[in-house]
Amino acid sequence: MGNKEKGKQSRRKFLQNIGVAGVGAISAPAILFTACSSSSDKKTKVLTPDNKLIEIDSENGLAIDTTDKSYLNKIGREGIPGKKFVMVIDLGKCRNERKCMKACQSEHQLKPEQHHLNVLEMENPSSGQTYFMPKLCQHCDNPPCVTVCPVDATFKRQDGIVLVDNERCIGCRFCIAACPYSARTFNWTEPRDSEEYKDITYNMELNVPQKKGTVTKCAFSADRIREGKLPYCNSACPNGVYYFGDANEDLVTNGTTKETVRLSKLLKQNSAYTLMPELGTQPSVYYLPARENS
Amino acid sequence: MNKKFYILFTLVCLSFSLIAQESWEVIAEENDNLSIIMFDEELELSGQIIYDNSCKSCHGNPEKADFSKMLPEPGDIASESFQNQTDGSLHYKIRIGRGAMPKFEDALDSEEVWNLVAYIRSFNKNYIQKKPNLEGIVIPKFSLALSFDENIDKLVVKTIGDDNNPMSEVELKAYIKGSFGNYLLGKTLTNEMGIGYFNVDAKMPGDAEGKLEVIVKARKGYGSAKTMQKMIMVQPSTFESAIKGRHLWSTAKQAPIWLKVTFFFTIISIWLMILYVVFGLKKLKKYS
Repeated sequence: MGNKEKGKQSRRKFLQNIGVAGVGAISAPAILFTACSSSSDKKTKVLTPDNKLIEIDSENGLAIDTTDKSYLNKIGREGIPGKKFVMVIDLGKCRNERKCMKACQSEHQLKPEQHHLNVLEMENPSSGQTYFMPKLCQHCDNPPCVTVCPVDATFKRQDGIVLVDNERCIGCRFCIAACPYSARTFNWTEPRDSEEYKDITYNMELNVPQKKGTVTKCAFSADRIREGKLPYCNSACPNGVYYFGDANEDLVTNGTTKETVRLSKLLKQNSAYTLMPELGTQPSVYYLPARENS
Repeated sequence: MNKKFYILFTLVCLSFSLIAQESWEVIAEENDNLSIIMFDEELELSGQIIYDNSCKSCHGNPEKADFSKMLPEPGDIASESFQNQTDGSLHYKIRIGRGAMPKFEDALDSEEVWNLVAYIRSFNKNYIQKKPNLEGIVIPKFSLALSFDENIDKLVVKTIGDDNNPMSEVELKAYIKGSFGNYLLGKTLTNEMGIGYFNVDAKMPGDAEGKLEVIVKARKGYGSAKTMQKMIMVQPSTFESAIKGRHLWSTAKQAPIWLKVTFFFTIISIWLMILYVVFGLKKLKKYS
């Protein structure tokens, strides 16, 4: 009898406990969800008295600190809706001035031997003529680097840009091995001027401050694009090599002359090509071939 | 023979480049052109922004002479060779361009070019701005009305003067606003009805409603007008996110179904196998 009662009691207790656990399991995520979704997604841009552009929440009028880390992480992951960024590189115009590389390295806190963008000297095997080819991350639509990342540190955004989150990166360098364009580089040592950069909030779109033991790569200057400006390399080029724009608009703008042209026309009229199309990576960077004797 | 030819060729090239460097003729009318607005700090600041975006890559930092090594030399804007030129000459050269110097006429407004001139002049302490003689000159005032004719795929711009009459011979430029720059649809003069037409490519992608943002700039003499408007001109288009769908490179949430099935199947079967072995071992112990 006593034994039976004991068993009953424990079953009742067990059922009670299940009930409590169930209610907890349902309500906890609900509370979390409401807490997370309390800030609305509608943002308005306003100008502060000291001429700084900030975003405020439209509904409750709260200012968003654009240097806030969680905010930077959020926008860095999400990207810009409705856009698909592309770059066109006119090889016929490149004179190896290397200003694009310098601008890139100074903005991304890179050492001279580290390249997000490198200008290579190429040779036409039949004529022996040489030409210069700026090579950067191709921001593939089918990115092999993202496939192999075990920790979701490198990812693709809705606007087509492939970025690296160096706070998630564990430095395994699988992505470096997977990239057919050798577009990625590794911080083997302390990054350049790391002392100066140490107090800056990490901005995923700029990938600064760089961190030792993590991978870094071209970000299509995602931070500049957000402001409606052309990438650093494009603006620095004196020869009009780079075009940058939105494929959804079918418009690209030249970094030097600021001339805007139709993307489809530019690609068709100049028989544009992409690097290693046979791999099926579908790059977002197009090259216009170097003309003979140009 | 070959060597001689090369030397001769280089000499010819050099002489050409020297000639090119020395003479950049500016039409007298353009040379005497003056800004009707006085240069002030505000204009200089907006000029500086344009300079940093569009000019700095070749002309370098002003007063530092760190311009690009090109032939002919781009030169430093603070140098005498720049400052000795008239305002009109600078304005003309920025607009028209030559050789490696791009033509900025279509990328920048006339006012924006004047802002650049104001910025260039800010490096010259001895500069005194010349004012144009506006006596007897009427500055035309007019407004613009935009519409789109679907039947002929043309943007129709009508210029209406102060007296509500159409104004003819107004220089019009129409642009489509892009993310990083404005795409030039064309340039034209208004006819006697005060109307100018621009062809619009029906294949151009618009937004979800088929709207494009049009910018029209008009100029006649010293008078100018500018208008911006979003208009339905092309077929509506929808844009897909670049990460839509299931891909091998997607996040775990968007991973392909076959991958998820294989993954969970493998994990579950391995666990089942382990459990089977563990329970088997336990049973073994009981019997012994």
